[in-house]
Amino acid sequence: MTVTEVAAQPAAPLPLDERISHRGPMRRWLISPEIGALIGAFTVWTFLWGNGDTFGTAGTTLNWLDVAAPYGIMATAIALLMIGGEFDLSSGVITGGTAMIIGLMSRFFMGNGTHIGWAILAAFAAAAAIGWFNGYMVNRTGLPSFIITLASFFVIRGLMLVLSKRLAQKVYVDQIKDQRGAHTFHQWIAHEWLLKEFNGRDTLYVVCVLIGVALFVWGIIDQSLIRRIGVNLTGIVMLVVGLAVGLVGFIALNNTDGLGNNALYGILSAVGAVIAILGISLTRWTRRIGAKVGEALGSLPRDAMLRCGLGIVGVALACLIHVPFDRHERRAVMTWTSPSLRVVIAVIAALIGFVLSARSLLPGLRERLRAADTIKLVLFSAYAALVLMTLTVAVLQLTTVQALRAMGMLLLATGGVGMMLSARGHAAKTSKGWQLIIGALAATAVVVVALVSRADATAIRFRTVLPTALIIVATLLLANTLVEYAMEKRTYADPVADHAAKRFQLAGTLIAVIGIAIRLLFTNFTDAHAARLRAAGTPVPQNVLRETVMWWLIVAAIGAYVLAKTRWGNWIFAVGGNKEAARAVGVPADRVKIGLFVTVSMCGALAGTLIALRYGTVQANQGTGLEFEFIIAAVVGGCLMTGGYGSVIGATLGAAILAMSTTGFQTVRDWNEDARFAFLGGVLLVAVLLNNYTRKKAQEAR
Amino acid sequence: MSTSEPLIRLRNIAKYFGNVTALEGVSAIVNAGEVTCVLGDNGAGKSTFIKILSGLHKPSSGEYLIDGVPVEFESPRDARERGIATVYQDLAITPLMSIWRNFFLGAEPMRSGVLLRTSFMKKTAKEELAKMGIDIRDVDQPVGTLSGGERQSVAISRAVYYGARVLILDEPTSALGVRQSGIVLRYVLEAAKRNLGVIFITHNPNHAYPVGDRFLILSRGKSLGEFGKNDITRDEMTRLMAGGGELDQLTAELQKVR
Repeated sequence: MTVTEVAAQPAAPLPLDERISHRGPMRRWLISPEIGALIGAFTVWTFLWGNGDTFGTAGTTLNWLDVAAPYGIMATAIALLMIGGEFDLSSGVITGGTAMIIGLMSRFFMGNGTHIGWAILAAFAAAAAIGWFNGYMVNRTGLPSFIITLASFFVIRGLMLVLSKRLAQKVYVDQIKDQRGAHTFHQWIAHEWLLKEFNGRDTLYVVCVLIGVALFVWGIIDQSLIRRIGVNLTGIVMLVVGLAVGLVGFIALNNTDGLGNNALYGILSAVGAVIAILGISLTRWTRRIGAKVGEALGSLPRDAMLRCGLGIVGVALACLIHVPFDRHERRAVMTWTSPSLRVVIAVIAALIGFVLSARSLLPGLRERLRAADTIKLVLFSAYAALVLMTLTVAVLQLTTVQALRAMGMLLLATGGVGMMLSARGHAAKTSKGWQLIIGALAATAVVVVALVSRADATAIRFRTVLPTALIIVATLLLANTLVEYAMEKRTYADPVADHAAKRFQLAGTLIAVIGIAIRLLFTNFTDAHAARLRAAGTPVPQNVLRETVMWWLIVAAIGAYVLAKTRWGNWIFAVGGNKEAARAVGVPADRVKIGLFVTVSMCGALAGTLIALRYGTVQANQGTGLEFEFIIAAVVGGCLMTGGYGSVIGATLGAAILAMSTTGFQTVRDWNEDARFAFLGGVLLVAVLLNNYTRKKAQEAR
Repeated sequence: MSTSEPLIRLRNIAKYFGNVTALEGVSAIVNAGEVTCVLGDNGAGKSTFIKILSGLHKPSSGEYLIDGVPVEFESPRDARERGIATVYQDLAITPLMSIWRNFFLGAEPMRSGVLLRTSFMKKTAKEELAKMGIDIRDVDQPVGTLSGGERQSVAISRAVYYGARVLILDEPTSALGVRQSGIVLRYVLEAAKRNLGVIFITHNPNHAYPVGDRFLILSRGKSLGEFGKNDITRDEMTRLMAGGGELDQLTAELQKVR
C-alpha cells in the first residue's frame, strides 16, 4: 500500500447513521460462530495439558488426532447438512455399514471374496443411494428428516446384524487386512508415516508463533486505528530500538540459565516488545489529538471504580488461596475438613438453596398471601435446600482439596482480571488517563498471578510454561493499553484497511497454527538421546501420523471453502434459513437438500473405508450412536439446530473437543476415565450457551 | 418499442377457480416510469391479480400483453425472464444471511464457474442500496438486523439490479409504521424515476394516493374502474374501495353504537 493510495481514500463517509455504532475488531471477532468451539477446544486442551502427565506430547496428540479423524470428516458433512436445515440420524450407522460392506464383500462375495477395490466402490455406491433416498424422501414427503433418517438408521442397523451373522457366522467381520488388495489400499488411503525426530522443532515453533502473533496483532490494530499519511521519525526510532532490545533480550533469554538472568532478560524482551509495538503504531497510525504525558486525569466513574476494586480483591484472593488450601493435600474436600466445618458447609448450602427458591417464589405471593401458598413456598424451598445441600456435599466428596484450590485460583484470577479489563473499558469513556492506569494495573495483576503460579503450583507445567504464557499476555496487555492511550480510534469502516487487516489476521493465524502443529507433532529427541533410551531398554516413542488425519483436514478444508466461497455454500445457507424464499429466487432447493444428504453418506463411506482399513475388524454395531456425537460436534461448532447458520471450522473444532476428552482422560493418572462423560457434558453446555449468546449479539448489536 | 404501447396491458382478464369467480373483467395499463396502484379491500382479488401478472396463475380468459405482444407464462421464471419482478410480502429473504449474500441469492456472479466474486458482490450490494437512498454501513450484517423498510428496500433494489422492467410490490407497507412506510414509498418513487413500471398493491389509499399515477380499484373480483390521478380524489377512492354505499352505512351504524 503506497501513501498515495491511502491518501486517495476519503477520510470518512459523510452521512453517518447515528443509530449504528462501529464494531471494533475484537467485537467482530467475538461474534463469529466458531468462537464457542474455539474457546472450548482451548479450555479442554489446557485443562488436560495441565493435569495430564503426557497430554500435549507428540504421541498423545497424534493419538487424539487419529480418534478425531472420522468424527471430523463426519462433523464437516453434518455441519453442512444442519446449516441446510436437516438432520441425519443414519449418519452413524452409515460409517459402520459401509465398513461392513467392505468387510463382507472382500471376504464372502461370490463365495470367496472379491478385490477390496470393488468392495470400496460398492460401499460408496450404496452410501450414495442411501443419501439420495433420505434426501428424496424428505423432499417428497415434507416429513421431518428426523423420522425419515431414523427409519434408515434402523434398516441399516438390522441389515448389518443379519448379514454379519449369516455370512460371517459372527457379530463381527475380521481379517479384512488380509484380503486381496487390502495392503495396496491401506498404503494408498490409510497410510501411516513414522514421524522423525526434528531437532529444530522448538526454534521453528517459537519463530512461527512469534511471527504469527505479530501479524495477527498488526491486523487487529489495523482494523481499529486510523492510518496516517507521512512518516513519523520518533516511531521508526522506537520501532528499531524496541526490536533490537527485544531481540537481544530474547536471544539472551534462550541462552541463559538461572533465575536472576532469566528475569532480567525476560523483562528486557518484554520492554522491547512494548516499545516496538508503540513504535509501529506511531509510524503507521494517527496519534490521538491531545494525547500527552501528564494529561489531566479527570474523574473516574463510580462503577469503573467498583469493578476495579472488585478485580483487585479477586486477584488478591487468588494469590492468597494457598493459605487455607495446602497444595500437597490430595484428600477429598469433605474428608479433609473437620466434622464441625462439614456441618457448617452443609447448612450454608441448604440455606442458600432455601433463600434462592423462596426469593423466586415470593413475588407471586406478595399480592395475596394464603395458607396454601405459604405451605407451597416452604415445601418447595425446603426441597431446593435439600437438593443444593446434597449436590454440594457430593461435589465436595468427589473434589480433592488440590482441585478445589486450582479451580478457585483460576476463577478468582480470571474473574479479577476480567473485572479490571471491564473497568478499563468503562474508564475509557470518560478519562484516557484512568484507562491507562487501570490497564497498567491489570497487566501488573497478570504478572503477579504468573509469579504466584510459578512459586506455588504443584504441576510442573503450571510452574514453567503457564507463567511464561501469562507474562507474554501481560506484555501484550500493557502494549494494548499504551496504544489505546496514545492513538486515535477509528469509528468508521475503512474497506481498504479492513481488507488488509483481515489478510494479516489470516496469515498470522495460519503461521501460528503451523508453528503449533510443528510443536505438537514432532519430538525433539536428539539421536544421542534416542540411543541412550535404547541402551537403557526404554522404548523410543514412535510417532505415527496416519493418513486418516489428512483426509479429515482435506474434507474440512473443502467443506469450509464450499460454504464460504461458492454458490453452493450460498444456497446451503439459504435453503436452511428460508426454503421458500430460496426457491422463490431460483435456488434449486430440492437438489441442494439431496446433495447435502448424499454428501453426508459419501463422507460416511469415506470414514467407513478408513475404519475398515485401519482396524481390519468391523463390529456389527459399529457406528451406532455416533450420529449424536456428530451432531454434538456440529452444534458445539456453532451450527443452529434450526438451520441457516453455522460453520465448518467450528464443527472441526467440535470434533477435536470430543476426541481430546475421549483420549485425554486416559493420560491423567488417578482419574476415572468415565468422568469424561460428565466433563464433556459440562463443556458442551458451556460451548452451546456461549454460541447462543454470541449469535444473539451478532444479530442485535449493529 | 412504439411509444403508444404501454409496458403491460391487460384486457378483460378473468380467473375462475371452479365455480368461484376470483377476478372478472379487469383491464389495466402499466407504463414505464409510472406507478400503477392496485387498491382493494380484503378479498377484492388483489392476490389473484398479482399471481396472474407474475406468472403463477394463467388467466382463464382475457389478454395479457407485454409491449403489445400477447404472452402466456408457464411459471414465475418465465415472467422474470421478461423483466417482471415480484417482491412478495415475505420478501423472499433469509434473515440470518448477510445482506450481500441475500442480494445475489439465486443469481450469484461467479469466477471461473465455481467461486463467488465476493468483493464484487459486497461492493455492488452496497452501491445498489446506496442508489435506492439507503446507506448500509456493513453489508456483512445479517438481513434480520435491518428494519422492515430497509429489508423491503433490499428486496426492491435486488429486483431492480436484475434488470426488472416491471416491479410488482405486494403490500409493501402493510406491516410497517408511519415512518418506515414513508421510506418505502420513497423507494417506490425512486424505482419509477428509473423508468420502471411499478405496480403497487395496497389496501391503504393514504399510501397509494401520494405516489400513484394510475389507480385500479378492485372490489369483490370486479374492477370498479381505472383512474388517472386527476380523475379521482382520495376520499372518492376510499369510498369506492369499501364498496361505496357500504361505507356510509357502516359509518352510520358506528355512530349509533357510540
